[in-house]
Amino acid sequence: MYTHWARIYKGVHTWTGLLAGMALFIAFYAGALTVFKEPITRWASPPAPAANWVALEQTPALIRQILNARPQVGQEFFVELHPQHSQRAQLRWQVAGPEADEHDQLSRRHFMATLDAAGGAVTLPLQPAPVAELIDVLHRVVGLPFDTEYNRWLMGVVALLYAVALLSGLVILLPTLSKDLFAFRPGRNRKRLWLDAHNLVGLVSLPFHLVIALTAVGFAFHDGIYTLQDKVVHDGGLGRMFRAGMPAPDPESRSHSELLPPGDLLDRFKVLAPELEPTRLQYLRIDSPMPMVSVWANDPVAMNARAWGSFAVLHPYTGAVLNTDYLPAQQGPAFAAINTIFSLHFVTFGGAVQKWVYFGLALAGAWLFYTGNLLWVESRRRAQRRHQSPTLQPPRTQWVAALTVGVCLGSVAGISVTLAAAKWLPGCVEDLLLAHQLLYYGVFFGSLAWAIRLDPARGAVHLLWLAAGATAAIPGSSLLGALGWVPGLWWYPRMDSLGVDLTAMVAALGFFLMARRLQQRISRGPSDSVWGELNARGYKGNA
Amino acid sequence: MSKARTLKAQTPAAGWLGKALAGLLLGLGLGCSALFIALTPEMAGAARAQLAMWLVPPVWLTVLGVSFLFRSGPRAWLVLGGLNLLVLLQAALVPR
Repeated sequence: MYTHWARIYKGVHTWTGLLAGMALFIAFYAGALTVFKEPITRWASPPAPAANWVALEQTPALIRQILNARPQVGQEFFVELHPQHSQRAQLRWQVAGPEADEHDQLSRRHFMATLDAAGGAVTLPLQPAPVAELIDVLHRVVGLPFDTEYNRWLMGVVALLYAVALLSGLVILLPTLSKDLFAFRPGRNRKRLWLDAHNLVGLVSLPFHLVIALTAVGFAFHDGIYTLQDKVVHDGGLGRMFRAGMPAPDPESRSHSELLPPGDLLDRFKVLAPELEPTRLQYLRIDSPMPMVSVWANDPVAMNARAWGSFAVLHPYTGAVLNTDYLPAQQGPAFAAINTIFSLHFVTFGGAVQKWVYFGLALAGAWLFYTGNLLWVESRRRAQRRHQSPTLQPPRTQWVAALTVGVCLGSVAGISVTLAAAKWLPGCVEDLLLAHQLLYYGVFFGSLAWAIRLDPARGAVHLLWLAAGATAAIPGSSLLGALGWVPGLWWYPRMDSLGVDLTAMVAALGFFLMARRLQQRISRGPSDSVWGELNARGYKGNA
Repeated sequence: MSKARTLKAQTPAAGWLGKALAGLLLGLGLGCSALFIALTPEMAGAARAQLAMWLVPPVWLTVLGVSFLFRSGPRAWLVLGGLNLLVLLQAALVPR
């Protein structure tokens, strides 16, 4: 009975894995880097002039001047607080690209304002490095260039396949769990070895994968699910439910001079959450009947609701507390549950240690999908019999091997190349984002073509060399900046930026070692394998 | 013929599309039930709506995952469809 189901689920696991595995590899590899999005952005951004911070008490005058000159800024702007000096701040806002949807961060242009010596407002364009956002988009929409509605649906389909692959993998493993779990059988049987490793990593990181699969499905389909539930469950009352916690619209029209100074708003926030250090104020629709300002802070001991941390919503004119559902110190159990769901995906809890844990789990996840495909190839291996002519593997095995190598290692190499270019592009090109995208997709599709055109075995070696070189260039350009040999290059002797450089150094060494091992396997490994020399030479005639 | 023998005669892939579609569509239907809403009359609206949405993925994916355990596609539609009817009935009868 059970063997019948196990056979069914084996088929389910194979197909879902094969269909979604490569997209998931990109999502997890890029996701591992997205854990450190902010340090990567700081590492990649050119030094900004320090004098651009203004005293906190000067910000009301600055806000009024900017709102007079640019009324549309009132829709959304930020008072960014200096991370070290609590009395210094910066006024910032963004201008969305034409036809951009709310998730499209990439096309936004960023601005800031400061005061000149005479007290007049000066507007400056800000250029935060777009490379980390590009990697985040790769993560969110499984390697596609833009976070649009249709791409999110596609990501949702991949997430569904991923969830089914997880459950089916578990069903296959369960009957022999006690026997197989801690078994690791290196030896002649390559497939056994890969299977043991795949099972062990998969089962140990299963809780992480369940969390990621469930939240990813929610992120992909929440708009659709809300619409459906509004019809069948809420009887069209969804909008009313969401508005229930908010104050009634206030028809009184107010002048910008009545805006409370940011310092006063911060004092009111201190009453709500005395232990927290605020990081920014986010003003929303201050000319509408429902003006709001969110005060953001990171709670080091709680599950923070968003990547920016936790927040309380205040009235920007009266200072009244409008909402504390997303502030751990004040929220009720229902919102604690909701915020935990987000936090478990965005790893906005547990500080730096937990971020490194997620980084490791995400890389292990990418490895899991890669080995899944290797197992597919290995299971279909045609063994060489004694006294028989040399054995070539069938074309479909060669194809899957070439695709796996091209897509997975191509995305790894592409991300490293586009990251390494971050310190060289400013000053060379006008459109930084476009340059980063061209570099990533150029390397990605070039790698894919290379692995297919050449053969999976040698293709993998070459792509690993490329990845090793490009990854080494990440700390390399920082080093050149530190030595001052190239004008315009920069480096930051700060923990988070050095962390980026050091991690890249370790990764480059890893890619280098893998390339060398693969090279050896081609010449010394068994010839009746897609990774052996014979198959590499016979690939083209074969496929 | 015994039950085990019937199963053995089938290929593992038999009826996979019917089972998968049943899990996909009817699993979503079960996930979108009004059960949670009926059980939480005291909860504030914004939290209730969000939790009701977040409870869909676990139910949906569990049903999708186990739908391959059904003996055939039509049977999966029958059982999961019946459960969906019960849930719809609950939504119609229980005040919320």
